[in-house]
Amino acid sequence: MPSATINKHRPSELLSRLASDEPELKVRALRELKNQIIGNPTKKLSFLKLGAVPAVAGILADSIDEVTDNNNCNGNTSNILVQSAAALGSFACGFDAGVQAVLDAGAFPNLLRLLANPNEKVIDAGARALRMIYQSKLAPKYDFLQQKNMDFLISLLNSEKENVSGLGASIITRSCETCLEQKALFDAGILRKLSGLLEGGSLSQRDASLESLATIFRNNPEVISKFAGPEIGRPLSSIIDLAKDRYPRTRLLACMCLIVIRNASPHFLQDIGIKTKIIHILLELLDDPGQVGDEAPFAFSSLIAQKEDLQKLALEANAIDKLHHHLKKGSLHPRRYKGILLALADMCSKLESCRSKFLSLQVLNLVADALTDHNAGVRTAACVCLKSVTRSIKNLSAGYFMNEIIVIPLVQLFLDPSTSVQVAALGAVSNIMVDFTTRKSIFVQCGGMKQLVQLAKSMESAVRSNALWALKNLVFQADNRLKEGVFSELTASLLSSLISDPEPSVQEQALALVRNLVDGCINLIELVFAEDGYILGAIGRQLQCASKAEIGIQGMYALCNVASGNEFHKEAVIQQLFTQMGDKNQSFVIKFLQSNDSQLRTATVWTIVNLTCPSSPGAPGRLEKLRNAGIISQIKNMVNDPCVDVKLRVRTVLGQSMAFGDN
Amino acid sequence: MSLFWIAIRQLAEIEEQMASSKKVITRGEWEKRLNDVKIRKEDMNKLVMNFLVTEGYVEAAEKFWMESGTEPDIDLATITERMAVKKAVQCGNVDDAIEKVNDLNPEILDTNPQLFFHLQQQRLIELIRNGKIEAALEFAQEELAPRGEENQSFLEELERTVSLLAFEDVSNCPVGELLDISQRLKTASEVNAAILTSQSHEKDPKLPSLLKMLIWAQNQLDEKATYPRINDLSNATLEEPTV
Repeated sequence: MPSATINKHRPSELLSRLASDEPELKVRALRELKNQIIGNPTKKLSFLKLGAVPAVAGILADSIDEVTDNNNCNGNTSNILVQSAAALGSFACGFDAGVQAVLDAGAFPNLLRLLANPNEKVIDAGARALRMIYQSKLAPKYDFLQQKNMDFLISLLNSEKENVSGLGASIITRSCETCLEQKALFDAGILRKLSGLLEGGSLSQRDASLESLATIFRNNPEVISKFAGPEIGRPLSSIIDLAKDRYPRTRLLACMCLIVIRNASPHFLQDIGIKTKIIHILLELLDDPGQVGDEAPFAFSSLIAQKEDLQKLALEANAIDKLHHHLKKGSLHPRRYKGILLALADMCSKLESCRSKFLSLQVLNLVADALTDHNAGVRTAACVCLKSVTRSIKNLSAGYFMNEIIVIPLVQLFLDPSTSVQVAALGAVSNIMVDFTTRKSIFVQCGGMKQLVQLAKSMESAVRSNALWALKNLVFQADNRLKEGVFSELTASLLSSLISDPEPSVQEQALALVRNLVDGCINLIELVFAEDGYILGAIGRQLQCASKAEIGIQGMYALCNVASGNEFHKEAVIQQLFTQMGDKNQSFVIKFLQSNDSQLRTATVWTIVNLTCPSSPGAPGRLEKLRNAGIISQIKNMVNDPCVDVKLRVRTVLGQSMAFGDN
Repeated sequence: MSLFWIAIRQLAEIEEQMASSKKVITRGEWEKRLNDVKIRKEDMNKLVMNFLVTEGYVEAAEKFWMESGTEPDIDLATITERMAVKKAVQCGNVDDAIEKVNDLNPEILDTNPQLFFHLQQQRLIELIRNGKIEAALEFAQEELAPRGEENQSFLEELERTVSLLAFEDVSNCPVGELLDISQRLKTASEVNAAILTSQSHEKDPKLPSLLKMLIWAQNQLDEKATYPRINDLSNATLEEPTV
């Protein structure tokens, strides 16, 4: 009778029938359960909540024990094994909660035992269920380095049954992570088996093999060269052939494998023809309506990311037009939406030609729409895309991005529940802030500046440092009013606590912010003296214990800018240089002057230039202090510094010191 | 000489003609050239077997195997199972079809949301067709509504299907085609293709592609030459070139 009437009591009634002693009734109940849950995520969840998984796992365990005890497997028992394995496999299919439940119920070892059963259908059912588990990241880690495990894996790959060899491949794809494991798999001859499956296997075996090969090759040039070397590119050419296969999924997996090879060993697949071919194949795969089309943009990103030559080739292949075309379609699956946005972000990350193309096609409006999408991954991707595009100095200086369509939604994202969205939005805003016109008022007007200050107090260090980055860019060469506004919102105490923040990246941005604040106008230098010189003291302390060069650079430039002020300012700075010494008899100044980082040396020498500038009355006194601390002699040693900026400024210092009579 | 044979040789000959630049080819010349084209019988047999197997004519395939010695490239037992599924859908026994597919390969419906939705949709249509309105509504609510929530296009199709209930005269309503036998055939075809793909077999037979190629090739050659054409594929007769 058709099971069209959904009796609300049915699920628990079904589960009670599972517990029946009659094998036939049990089989029927299992089969019914299986048929209800296959394809139906809602049902999987509701049966899961009712405890179906432990019940089925228990039945599997009992039946297997029966087989072992009686040393035979009759019809009913086989059926029970097949149906229970199929039900467990379905629970695990694409459903992480299901995978967890199956593992928690202890079914995993029993499913493995099914692989040794004489009945082919039982083996198939077991292999399938295990394959479903291995598609999830919750699958138990497989220890390839143990010999018996490797032997078992080899026996799986040797099997003629598709599901069993497919299981072997899935285990590799899921569990192989380290170089050591990759090498162990290579040494055991697994690569040879996999490439055998590439050439002679069925569709699913080829696909599984491509995924496994990619996993073994990832970031391992040694294994790749051993694979491609002696066989003189034959396995490599079979992968290239598969990139042109008639099945879209095979094409995608083959491309992904080639990309892994190329990223690990750039001297392979250098031919422009091959590179262009892969680009075309991936762009064409975007047309696939299913999962293949969803994943294609990610593969495309992995091919072109950080590589200008490939971005150029992709531009010529009309990649931006094609991505735009798909973006226009609308109602995109979130994964695909995210992928396309990130692909555009990668395309525009380095080349102005790509950004121009992007802007000329009016893609910007579509990306702005994505900022308000209900999926957090999509929102993040839209921000990352904007960050790339707003690197266009030409358009930034034309004030192209400082408009309401972009700025207002971005500022709203500062309040987003997801941290990664916040950080990504801050990244985009930071670029837009570098606006060479002074039309930053839109941003301030929509409350953006206050939001940034709020975010600078966030618990997440990434949010704090990115908020400071945006503020730093906001005040860069801004007018005094804006700078004062930012400072009063921030307050001296907050700024000094950020300078002394536990996270180095936050310290760096805070110091850079101060640098930009006090740059250019004497009145603003007063800011660092607010509240008893909190900020100046914080800078000095931080420089004494700077954990990386970048912190030193920003801090020194901040001091340098302060030292460009009046006599009082210069005296305060030189005091900072020496106060922090404590029982260390070497000022951090000497350490910085001796640094390998030329920017740090430059910043430090510039500060000395400002401190000893002849037009100020206190210069001789300061020069004396510097001389006594051995700083001037250090500088004398740098007359032939390899960095031109350093060299020039050193000569300025020495010239200035001569003006006061040097000995 | 079988029609098939003629069609294939026509195709081979045309491809050769494309290379040269003759303008008019008389029938006599053409037939002479056709006779020179070599086609292997084994290849023909494979094409026939491929057609029978993909379309699911089990008994014919078995007989052909016995009589010609051509081996099928797929296990004939699986064809029987596949045909049982297809037939169940064509008769409106969708529940039965789903059970059979799951017995054959539980992954197919678990990894094919579109197919699963269409089968569920067909179940709903059958309930409506049989006048089981309450059951239909309950089914739509329990089984199909959650799928509609996850996917916009499923939701639209669901709404179309449920709207059948709003019409008194279903045979004349805008969505009436859903009740038509053609809808069952469409679903049946979708299941058939999914099963074939899962068995790593191509879901379309080769023969139609070959014939399409023939028609296309003739159209191409028409631009360069006049020659005896095959205009009726079903009898594959060569028709005189019009001067």
